[in-house]
Amino acid sequence: MSEEPRVVVDHVSKRYVKYDDAPMLVTRALRWGQRSSRSELWALRDIDFTVATGECVGVIGHNGSGKSTLLRLLAGVTGPTRGRVKVRGRIAPLISVGVGFHQELTGRENVHANGTILGLSRSQIEDRLPDIIDFASIDDFIDTPVKFYSSGMYMRLGFAVSVLAAPDVLLVDEVLAVGDFAFQMKCLDRMMEIKESGTTIVIVSHNLGAIRRMCDRTIVLHKGELRYNGDTARAITVFHELLSGATDGEDLQDPAYRVMAADPGEIESFELIGPSGEPTRTVSSQDRVQLRLDVRFRKPTRDVRVGVMVWDEFASLYEDMSAKESARAFEAGDRVRVSVEFRPSLRSGSYMARVALVQDDGVVAAEPFAIDFFVTSPPQTQGGLIDVAATMSMAELAPVAKPTEVTDGD
Amino acid sequence: MSTAEAGFELLGEAGTLRDLIVDTWRSRDLIATLARKEFLVRYRRAFFGVLWALVIPLMQAAVLALVIPKLARFHTPGSYLLFVLSGTVAWTFFMSTITQASTSIVDNQAVTTRVYFPRSVLPISAVLSNLYSFVPTMLILGAITLATGHGSWRLLLLAPATIAACALTGALAIVLAALHVYFRDVRYVVQAALLAWIYVTPVIYPLNAVRGIRPWLEINPVTGVVELFRVATVGADNAWLPSLWWMLAWTVALLLVAGFLHRRFDRVFVDLL
Repeated sequence: MSEEPRVVVDHVSKRYVKYDDAPMLVTRALRWGQRSSRSELWALRDIDFTVATGECVGVIGHNGSGKSTLLRLLAGVTGPTRGRVKVRGRIAPLISVGVGFHQELTGRENVHANGTILGLSRSQIEDRLPDIIDFASIDDFIDTPVKFYSSGMYMRLGFAVSVLAAPDVLLVDEVLAVGDFAFQMKCLDRMMEIKESGTTIVIVSHNLGAIRRMCDRTIVLHKGELRYNGDTARAITVFHELLSGATDGEDLQDPAYRVMAADPGEIESFELIGPSGEPTRTVSSQDRVQLRLDVRFRKPTRDVRVGVMVWDEFASLYEDMSAKESARAFEAGDRVRVSVEFRPSLRSGSYMARVALVQDDGVVAAEPFAIDFFVTSPPQTQGGLIDVAATMSMAELAPVAKPTEVTDGD
Repeated sequence: MSTAEAGFELLGEAGTLRDLIVDTWRSRDLIATLARKEFLVRYRRAFFGVLWALVIPLMQAAVLALVIPKLARFHTPGSYLLFVLSGTVAWTFFMSTITQASTSIVDNQAVTTRVYFPRSVLPISAVLSNLYSFVPTMLILGAITLATGHGSWRLLLLAPATIAACALTGALAIVLAALHVYFRDVRYVVQAALLAWIYVTPVIYPLNAVRGIRPWLEINPVTGVVELFRVATVGADNAWLPSLWWMLAWTVALLLVAGFLHRRFDRVFVDLL
């Protein structure tokens, strides 16, 4: 498709002006003519990219990197201070679930209100209503005020309205992070369908698993600047480098980065092997699974140890390195299979893992693209961060002898 | 940019007035839907529902009609009850609409920060939702006019009177809603202003009872609205025409200010929410 891009972000900068004193009409009128002190914040600087029709692009970055500002610019709710934003076709956000729903109104009334806000005509809403009810599976409750909905029903309805609005460009803001696992999977499936139907999608998310699954291309924002725009797996690595502060991201666009990470060992493959012995991305919390990294050495390397790290979007959960005594030396041309076997013991969710060969003074070989995987834990797991696989039981003990009634010694 | 194809192109924070007007016109479905939603929400939980919208101005008029004649005798064109009722009906519409509409952009920030539509849609839909509850009130006003023997062809003027009330209220609401995004005390300034405003509006007294400051009362745009409702029901005050011109002038001026503010700030209101 050599047509015009669907979305053009052309050297866009966005400045926010913050007034230091609370802006009050009364005080401003009293101090007429005085400038109030204000500070400026550039939320985005010179952002430049395009999205082609049918592409799915991810946007990642820490809090405060400018992600939400970019999303607002794409939605058209705010204008650029400099540069140009252009969108062809109808753009609609996948509204954070249930935003704009009014508690007193019924499901049907809320669907009408939300659908209209998303730019649908009344007849389009009527046409889609059966699908919406079906997807949200709330047929008996569509004429009940949403305040009586369970949180699950509420979320499903919110998602269904947004998804079935079927715009030309769909903006997704973190919605995949809500709901139970089954609902997340259902949303993800639906998103894949939308993607396959040719809808252009822009996703801003912390859920790297979802980004990796969906996005052809990912943009990394850091302090309002575009740090990387390209391959999703690379982007996730760049993001983690920024997150760990290992680099300020200066040389990330440099292809030498890849060589550095892979030298002197070259990665042949990196996989997560499930209990069946096949590569997988979804594992059960109590399975024994294996991270398997195949490396070929280009030059002789001494004192090589194995390192492993597992993390979620917030923090590192597990880091370890094999013992110094087990370090080995390799010759040029040696091929080695590194295996890290472990039991995830985690709650249901999305995680990332990385295996590396390391020397005391740095990384010898590391899969630059960390692997992301989903863990499912048994439904009876009720809360907490880890699944310790506790067994719970109750057993009857021998009864304590009943206190005998005191009777008169007669 | 508003072209036949959906989509937009933003070259800066400010847009063009033409785009803004076209986009607002295209959002009329949205305006109607939001107004209906607002209307349903407001009256669903109240036992008497929309009846409250009727009862409040009627009660207010009844109380005033009982009390005021004991304090002062005004020479009004028709019965004092009808005189004061037509005034309170018009005033209540103005007051309740301005109160609600002037904070509408901030009040709806959950939606405005995520979806674009011209922000003027919000105050306009607030006017429309108040109009829904105003219609039955007006039917009662018409019925009482007929019942008290004041009915004539002039009752038809209730329609243009309502349109004028909506235009003035809407124009002021769009300006205030924009100001409220920047100055959050506009809410309180408006409340305070409305308290004083009713006394400089001929709601409980006729214009011809006032000496000296009368030209100032004629400048008050709400005077024009109230006088128009009087012409339609109880009969005209002899000086209703100048106030009508003032009202029209105010409406045009406020629309110009509204256009200027929204052309500049429509796409950046969100930055301050």
